[in-house]
Amino acid sequence: MDSVFSILPRNIGDQLRVLPEAVQDCMEEIRVRIARPLEIMAGGEPHFLPYVVTYEDSDQLLNALSQFSLYTIEEELRRGYVTIEGGHRVGLAGKVVLENSSVKAIRDISSFNIRIARQKIGAAERLVPLLFDGSWKHTLLIGAPQTGKTTLLRDIARIVSSGMDSKGIGSRKVGIVDERSEIAGCVRGIPQLELGPRVDILDSCPKAEGMMMLIRSMSPDVLVVDEIGRKEDTEAVLEAANAGIKLIITTHGNSLEEIRKRPIIQRILDEHIFERFVEVTRGAAPGTISTVRDASGKELRLGTGAAYV
Amino acid sequence: MFKVIGAAFILLATTWSGFEIARGFTERPRQLRQLKSSLQALEAEIMYGHTPLRDASLKLSKQLPQPLSLFFTAFASKMENNETTVRDAWTESLQEVWKSLSLKQSEYEILVQFGETLGRHDRMSQQKQIILTLTHLEREEKEALDRQSKYEKMIKSLGFLSGLLLIIILL
Repeated sequence: MDSVFSILPRNIGDQLRVLPEAVQDCMEEIRVRIARPLEIMAGGEPHFLPYVVTYEDSDQLLNALSQFSLYTIEEELRRGYVTIEGGHRVGLAGKVVLENSSVKAIRDISSFNIRIARQKIGAAERLVPLLFDGSWKHTLLIGAPQTGKTTLLRDIARIVSSGMDSKGIGSRKVGIVDERSEIAGCVRGIPQLELGPRVDILDSCPKAEGMMMLIRSMSPDVLVVDEIGRKEDTEAVLEAANAGIKLIITTHGNSLEEIRKRPIIQRILDEHIFERFVEVTRGAAPGTISTVRDASGKELRLGTGAAYV
Repeated sequence: MFKVIGAAFILLATTWSGFEIARGFTERPRQLRQLKSSLQALEAEIMYGHTPLRDASLKLSKQLPQPLSLFFTAFASKMENNETTVRDAWTESLQEVWKSLSLKQSEYEILVQFGETLGRHDRMSQQKQIILTLTHLEREEKEALDRQSKYEKMIKSLGFLSGLLLIIILL
């Protein structure tokens, strides 16, 4: 949390510091909008604080994000978010500047959404016996936004790279294509989140290209990619799966049934690459695993291992 | 005896002030030149290094001689706290060191103008601003060199000769 406080303007920081510890601990988002009250999302519920954000606050926040130098976050302004130390992400909205009808940058930024990254170490431990059987299985994690698939994916990557002595699983080389800097939360190329010792990350690299680059250059055993769903991704997934590399991938959707209807995903499914499907739903807490299926769609029973969260 | 000592003092004083004034004429083009090269270095830091302003000006302050280095040190230290803006930090540091520089008001305006744009744009526009400021400074430098060649020697001899004149009158 200190890294978040260090970028917040003093007025806003003071508002947050007086919040009860319980709220601070489950804070998910801090939303800063000019001339509107400060909003925080904690435990899935919105809370409004009695403080109206001023223009100066947003200026100071932007200065802190860019270290007084907008040109250093040029690329980030084009993508619409900045990753800060600690792996937290700050989403930006304002007036968009176009060049050749593609987004060039965001100017006059009026909304900031500070998403607090909380790594849940051990989130995927319960899954491991189902995903590992002599070697890791090609796995597809399915979940709607905000269900915690990325949290699970990150923990799987951590387990793969560090191995699990208790279950006799050795460590493997992991390649991560982190297009949106979400899995590893890299700042200047260095992951801010715990991912184990054997991880190579291509930060903010387009997925399709990045997968091929990693295969050629870093010879990973397991390739971890977030949010497959574009046309060119299909090619890369098929290519990688047949290159002797295990894939662990997430995609948006509620269930296996549902994603079968997405034309792009359908093509991948038709190739029968994946050996495990994990459906993630937002139950009591984000990251609740509802069902694990094998290649034929048959449900597998989750072990009653260590309870997670 | 006293007359000789007094005369020597007068001569020393006027000659010294003549040299002092002339120094301003030599210093100005020199500082302008340093300023220009510091802006060029800043351009490289921005364009190719993507270096944030604070780190870039710390680097510059190490490369430059005094008093210009003091300006960049002040600028960098002012940006440590988040509650200022680049423009304020730049102008304030400029005011702090201005007395020790031999530059003129027109150069001050150019630099303040430049400070307004710093850190507020993407790399391309930042580079354009730097190039624009460089052309302004170049013009000033040319003028400063012109004045140097015209007046430097003259002021020096003027100091000495006016001292001589004073002695002759007083004797």
